[in-house]
Amino acid sequence: MSTLKVDAIRHNSATSDAITTASDGTCTANITNNLSNRNLIINGAMQVAVRGATSTSSGVYTVDRFACNHNGTDEAPTQAHVSVDSGTTPFTLGFKTAFKITNGNQTSGAGTNDFIRIRYPFEAQDISNSGWNYVSASSYITLSFWVKSSVAQSFHVNMRAKDGSDNNYTFETGSLSADTWTKITKTIPGNSNLTFDNNTDEGLYIHFHMFRGTGNTGTVSQNQWVSYDSTLLTTDQTSTWYTTNDATFEITGVQLEVGSVATDFEHRSYGDELRRCERYYQVLAEPKQDSGVSNISTHGGNFYGVIHFHTVMRGSPTLVVSNFTNAFRAYGNQGTNPSTLTLNNGGSHSMVIQGSGNPGTAGWLRCYLGNPSGGAFATVAAQSEL
Amino acid sequence: MAFPTNPIYKLHNSTFDGVTTQTVMKDIGNDLRINIPFDPKNIDYQEYLEWVAEGNTAEPAD
Repeated sequence: MSTLKVDAIRHNSATSDAITTASDGTCTANITNNLSNRNLIINGAMQVAVRGATSTSSGVYTVDRFACNHNGTDEAPTQAHVSVDSGTTPFTLGFKTAFKITNGNQTSGAGTNDFIRIRYPFEAQDISNSGWNYVSASSYITLSFWVKSSVAQSFHVNMRAKDGSDNNYTFETGSLSADTWTKITKTIPGNSNLTFDNNTDEGLYIHFHMFRGTGNTGTVSQNQWVSYDSTLLTTDQTSTWYTTNDATFEITGVQLEVGSVATDFEHRSYGDELRRCERYYQVLAEPKQDSGVSNISTHGGNFYGVIHFHTVMRGSPTLVVSNFTNAFRAYGNQGTNPSTLTLNNGGSHSMVIQGSGNPGTAGWLRCYLGNPSGGAFATVAAQSEL
Repeated sequence: MAFPTNPIYKLHNSTFDGVTTQTVMKDIGNDLRINIPFDPKNIDYQEYLEWVAEGNTAEPAD
């Protein structure tokens, strides 16, 4: 038996140690594979898309946790939950889905206030408690993602740390080859000016820019934290992608982790990602005849019921409901189609809904969130996005 | 319930057991309506407050 006594182990060509040993008998290692609970991003592999496959509306989270915002466009871009082509490198690494933005036809060119971007917001407490010593310049987080564009160009990313003095960090992907998946990795240091409160408010966001007009870009230092200025989110951006009709931008495998090394992507099950996403948006009933409502009672000309959330939500959510005739059906000793289904009150665990109309108190009082009589199935959801 | 397009928001009162809770509703298209609690941490409510701060007034509750 022999003992190898060294302070560190480093590859011949590396510039940093892979393993560093300590005098107390412990070590630290830059291990890049098969690590769990690393990714601070929810749904980074774009598996969950409960709102629908496509949208042209700004601010919609077509893929859960990832919103596409746009402004000033002549034709709105289409955001879509898509499959990654088999045989491509991200596919072979286990990425089967991506978030795709297809540009519209921007006939009037690139306006100063125009933009198309993908947005990912974090709760402040999730950064505050991540283990990142964010006030130290020698403590790091690392952002990595796979990206593909139909237009060869460099794209801009900015991260805003909103608490405290409000700071911004911007960088570029570097020039991407057209129609080629590329993995981008960016290691970001802490800074003594950063603050992340231990609360449920938005503390950090990442914006992946397809284009931002010069009204919000200009001379700003890249690759370092600077004071946030809404007119200087990034340096000026090329408008090539934006002025190319039907240009595409796809992204998947987004990971933000504590440390200076981009580890392999932490693949999680669909159920695991769905549960995490439901803290911000959850469908309360399948789009079919589905009760989903409990503890129903009647009062005056209305009935009331409780909906318990599948996952505790970030805060008191907004109720999202279908706004068409016969979307719902309630039964007591008679059936009634509520003309409205509204929010009475609620918190992060449950909400009380109110339906207009009294189905009577006898019998099994129940409310269908879809209407078996009307043949129309309703959307009922709760959202507590950032 | 018909929604106006201007103003785009409409207040809603819900009374149960003598307690009236006020929320605000908005038609967001695609046959969907949102019903927003008056919670300062709710971003839909924050957007509503910004809209009010711009000098707008929601349609009164029925």
